[in-house]
Amino acid sequence: MPGSESAVVIGVDIGGTFTDLCLLGADGRVVTAKLPSTPGDYSEGVAQALAAAFAAAPDAARQQHELVHGSTIATNAVLELRGAKTALLTTAGFRDVLELRRLRMPQLYNLQWEKPAPLVPRSLRLEVHERLDARGEVIVPLDEEGVRRHADLLREQGVESVAVCLLHAYANPEHEQRVGALLRELLPGVPVSLSTEIIREAGEFERTSTAVINAYVQPVVGRYLTAIEERLTSSGGDSRLLVMQSNGAVMPAGAARQRPCYLIESGPAAGVIAAQAVARAIDCHNLVTLDMGGTTAKAALIEDGEMTFVDEYEIGAGLTIGSRLMKGDGYLLRIPAIDLAEVGAGGGSLAYVDAGGALQVGPRSVGADPGPACYGRGNSEATITDANVVLGYIGPERFAGGALQLDPALAQRALERLGRQLGMDAAAAAYAVHVVGNTRMSRAIRAVSTERGHDARDFTLLAFGGSGPLHAAQLARSLGIRRVVVPPLPGVFSALGLLCAPAGYQFVHTFRARLDRLSDAGLAAAVDDLTAQARLELRRLGYPADAVEFGYEADLRYVGQQFRVRVTLPDLAAIHPDGAVAAVRQRFEDEHERRYHHRAPQAPVELVGFHLAARVRAPAPLLDLAGVAADMSGPAAPSAATRPAYFSREEGFVAARLLRRQDLHTPVTGPALVEEPDTTIVIPPGWNARLDEQGNVVMTVEE
Amino acid sequence: MQLPDELDPITFDLVRSTLESIVDDMALTIVRTAYSNVVRDNMDFSTGFCNRHGELVAQGLTIPMHLGSVPDAMAAMRAALGDELAPGDIWTMNDPYEGGMHLPDIYVVKPIFTSDERLVGYAVTIAHHTDVGGRVAGSNASDSTEIYQEGLRIPPVHLYQRGQPNRTLFRLIEKNVRVPDKVFGDLNAQIAACRLGEARFLELLAAHGERQLERYLTELLDYSERRVRQEIRAIPDGTYVFEDHIDDDGIDPDPLTIRVALTVRDDTIHADFAGTTPQVKGAINATFSVTRSMVYAAVRCVLSPDIPNNAGMFRSITISAPEASLVNPVVPASCAARGLTGFRLGDTLLGALAQAVPERVFAAGEGGNTGISIGGYDAQRNPFIYVEFICGCWGGRMTKDGIDGVTNPFSDLSNNPIEMTEAEYPLLIEAYELVPDSGGAGRQRGGMGVRKRFRFTEREAVLQVRSDRQRFRPYGLDGGQPGAAGRNLLIQNGVAQVTSSKLTTLIHAGDVFDHVQAGGGGYGDPLERDPALVAHDVREGRVSPERAREDYGVVLTPGTVEVDAAATLNERGQRAAGGIAG
Repeated sequence: MPGSESAVVIGVDIGGTFTDLCLLGADGRVVTAKLPSTPGDYSEGVAQALAAAFAAAPDAARQQHELVHGSTIATNAVLELRGAKTALLTTAGFRDVLELRRLRMPQLYNLQWEKPAPLVPRSLRLEVHERLDARGEVIVPLDEEGVRRHADLLREQGVESVAVCLLHAYANPEHEQRVGALLRELLPGVPVSLSTEIIREAGEFERTSTAVINAYVQPVVGRYLTAIEERLTSSGGDSRLLVMQSNGAVMPAGAARQRPCYLIESGPAAGVIAAQAVARAIDCHNLVTLDMGGTTAKAALIEDGEMTFVDEYEIGAGLTIGSRLMKGDGYLLRIPAIDLAEVGAGGGSLAYVDAGGALQVGPRSVGADPGPACYGRGNSEATITDANVVLGYIGPERFAGGALQLDPALAQRALERLGRQLGMDAAAAAYAVHVVGNTRMSRAIRAVSTERGHDARDFTLLAFGGSGPLHAAQLARSLGIRRVVVPPLPGVFSALGLLCAPAGYQFVHTFRARLDRLSDAGLAAAVDDLTAQARLELRRLGYPADAVEFGYEADLRYVGQQFRVRVTLPDLAAIHPDGAVAAVRQRFEDEHERRYHHRAPQAPVELVGFHLAARVRAPAPLLDLAGVAADMSGPAAPSAATRPAYFSREEGFVAARLLRRQDLHTPVTGPALVEEPDTTIVIPPGWNARLDEQGNVVMTVEE
Repeated sequence: MQLPDELDPITFDLVRSTLESIVDDMALTIVRTAYSNVVRDNMDFSTGFCNRHGELVAQGLTIPMHLGSVPDAMAAMRAALGDELAPGDIWTMNDPYEGGMHLPDIYVVKPIFTSDERLVGYAVTIAHHTDVGGRVAGSNASDSTEIYQEGLRIPPVHLYQRGQPNRTLFRLIEKNVRVPDKVFGDLNAQIAACRLGEARFLELLAAHGERQLERYLTELLDYSERRVRQEIRAIPDGTYVFEDHIDDDGIDPDPLTIRVALTVRDDTIHADFAGTTPQVKGAINATFSVTRSMVYAAVRCVLSPDIPNNAGMFRSITISAPEASLVNPVVPASCAARGLTGFRLGDTLLGALAQAVPERVFAAGEGGNTGISIGGYDAQRNPFIYVEFICGCWGGRMTKDGIDGVTNPFSDLSNNPIEMTEAEYPLLIEAYELVPDSGGAGRQRGGMGVRKRFRFTEREAVLQVRSDRQRFRPYGLDGGQPGAAGRNLLIQNGVAQVTSSKLTTLIHAGDVFDHVQAGGGGYGDPLERDPALVAHDVREGRVSPERAREDYGVVLTPGTVEVDAAATLNERGQRAAGGIAG
């Protein structure tokens, strides 16, 4: 973990089912642990995982260590509506902005749709008399007496957290800050979230919603982090807690207490961080990740070695392909996050024949309980996992490291029933389920790749999660992707990512100016001003602010255009002082032309906002993944065992070699199955596979 | 029910989901590249894909009111231009009397060819443009009395022919619209979407071969038809008649009637609009294409959501409407504000469907969005046109309350952010909020109406408003009460005046327009509403204590928001005994 001097770094990732841990020792050695999560008190699971890791690496316990944590606690508080009793103060006339949202419904023709309930009830949305115009000038001065009266009411009501969002505060935050100061004075101990402290950007609903989410989860996250810190203290040793953000950077626990909304949906981010580390290690610049588990599959893009980001996302919007177009099913958070697309296709996704005779797979899922038919826990309908058992991809005896004994006869029966409806035998039906599941997942991959104008065929697919390696090769082929990589430890890959994450923070700031009226000095002053504010804020949040470096981006457009084009700002210091604004315009026009195929050299250009990414300078972590893979290499020679597996209707079942990862030091040609503790890597006929120096399984196919 | 024997379920699924992703990607392209806020923020546009016969095979996640307009549009364009079809052509059209809906909705369609120049399909886009000329900025006025006043009328013509732009047309558009940069920007977005659709479809074609793909495209339509017929068969046979009303046409004071007799027989539905008011002078006439679209969309709302939207859906549904009526007008009827009649068609159709499938509909919502445009010139004579569609709420449902603050389901629009509006237009928004006591009382309460208040800050502009439901309130169902009426208030020189629902007027700096939209109707007897829910609504400021008693028979302990159980029982008992239903 950059920026740290700790000898030992520990990544702990809490998911709904498992708590995964990766410990990186001073010697570069990696220890892993996977234990059931403890939903009553998640910190309990963390303590158990730590104990297990320290038992395996007793030296580490005595050394200074740094715990990097990824947790669903903030996400769950929103999804389960178990956050704090929260109030919202808004400009008079606008108490319903939070509830009115952007109005659109995400499900056409569904008259039974329900809008998610606002996180602050109408009775706790209070109006403040004040008003600014769009330039931030005061039209109506702040009614401080009114704020004081509201504070009394909030105290009476036992409100635990307060959000404040005033109109045009992005242009001038003084009223918001004054309201914040009054509330903090009058309601000691009650956290106050000011919208402009999180994002200084125009868009009243987005800012309100973000501030409210922050306020709503703040007490819950605060208590949780305290519990974790107590566990760390009681486990002895000198430790420091860092937390993963949805943008893939980690933040100090102190910052997380103030900006807990940055923790939301950070779980999948860690997997992408790990993917980026792998991409760098294998010198692969363009990569699509596939993280497939029990209920969903998620895809993200690494482009030119960099992750791709979105400016906002919705918590609980469910399956997010449509929601890229149609928001409204979840709670909107306007903070930068790694761009992930998710579809409802996982091992537990149900397969059925619909009323028109078409085969459907997902999004209905049986999850882990009762689980697929082959679990024998009461579900008899076919799932993707059942199909993979019938196809011979999953060996019944070694599933989930042998923790769960599968009954292939139950899977067979489920697929036979499905097959009768489709007019085919069980194996053909299973194959159809597998492929239709792949089609679902390919939509997630397309959403992050082709939607951005990329050709998926130029990318490598990196597969992890319990089900990703089972589907990766065939899925890749349907997208025209010719190279698939399965990293070491695919089952605890996200926890591994926590070890690689840099510390950082992102700022968003609306700044409107026409370039033809902006001087070079004016631009430099604006950037300097923003940087100074950011440094101050970082210091307040507990970052080593002097060790921070900044990356700048700007949003621009032609005057009259409604959309923005984002460009990286040139290094202003390096440009001749007379050329800064011209250089910005040049970059904007180049990018505009690249995306929209035209430029308008005569048209005035407007700057509308800055994005500033702070990153703590630090050396890259010493993470030897090949060492991890080597740990697993046993002395045994490759076995000659095979299992019948099904890859096409033409060929039917063929004998696939059963291998372990270390057997791939000698390249093999499919069909073969690499069995690992928590997944199987399927190498279909025609694919070649080998182990690279970093311990990755690399599969390739000829055109 | 099975797919035909020779077809493979894997390929069927692949073709279907690829087509869905093509039309969605087309929609995303428009969102990414459009210039105007109507298209980008309100998202008033649609995308679709047609087979080589011009039949819709997939529609993007866009405006339901556009759903059924594609058949008429494609028929008109193919009839006019089909003979001289060539690769590189792009067609356009907006004429309501030759396949269109109203002038602002411009169609851009790209015929798609294989490399050996055989037609294989059409990429289709429809976008509502900020302005297409005519007498009122925004080209939306409800008080135009002839189509000739409403702007540039484009019959089916080439936008591009064999790859070359139709310069005559571009020049004509440039000279006839108020904001040509926005119109051209949005047209370019539509073209970009068509090009993307073309590229993606040709990939699909290459992967499957022309003949095989055609079989699956045919099956996709048959599949939708099968599913629709199967579900219609489950709806009880009968003729369901319903009438709803529009306050007036903005010119004459008379109320207007839309009447439908919806006949469900076996696996078919026929909608007959006999008895509907003849076409009117005001610009709310809905061309037959709009009427058909609304019938498809309303029926679609009571079917399973996963049936693909394509031409197969339409086969079991037939429609008839008297010629020269409000819902099937002829030249020269004006129709720029046809959306209003479209929305009322939706209300009327759902009212009829409520008799057949009461569990699948809601009581009337706000009655359709309110269209507002404020247009003029600033001191430098630069034009500005602010366009907004204010939405809305839903009526109560059999088991759920109506939604407070949501889009009308027939036109899935977004609102304009206030901070953006004020940064870009000479307007101050003084309130944007829900209106207490506006939701119709019912066992399931209707949604609350929305209020938005505008203060104008430039020298002079034309304010144009298309609203309704100020006389005929949104109906309740099954004993639920109607929602509160809407109201328009214009404050000029300190004098406040309630205006008609449709207006076009000059405004000046400092003038205020205050719009309250109607609330949704209730569902079920309000006296059956759980008193705890009524008290909750009072606590939340959604219902006043007075109306809790008056409408719901719920008495609160004085000075609190707690239910006085005994007094409530007594109050409700008396009403039941007195036979007063709320």
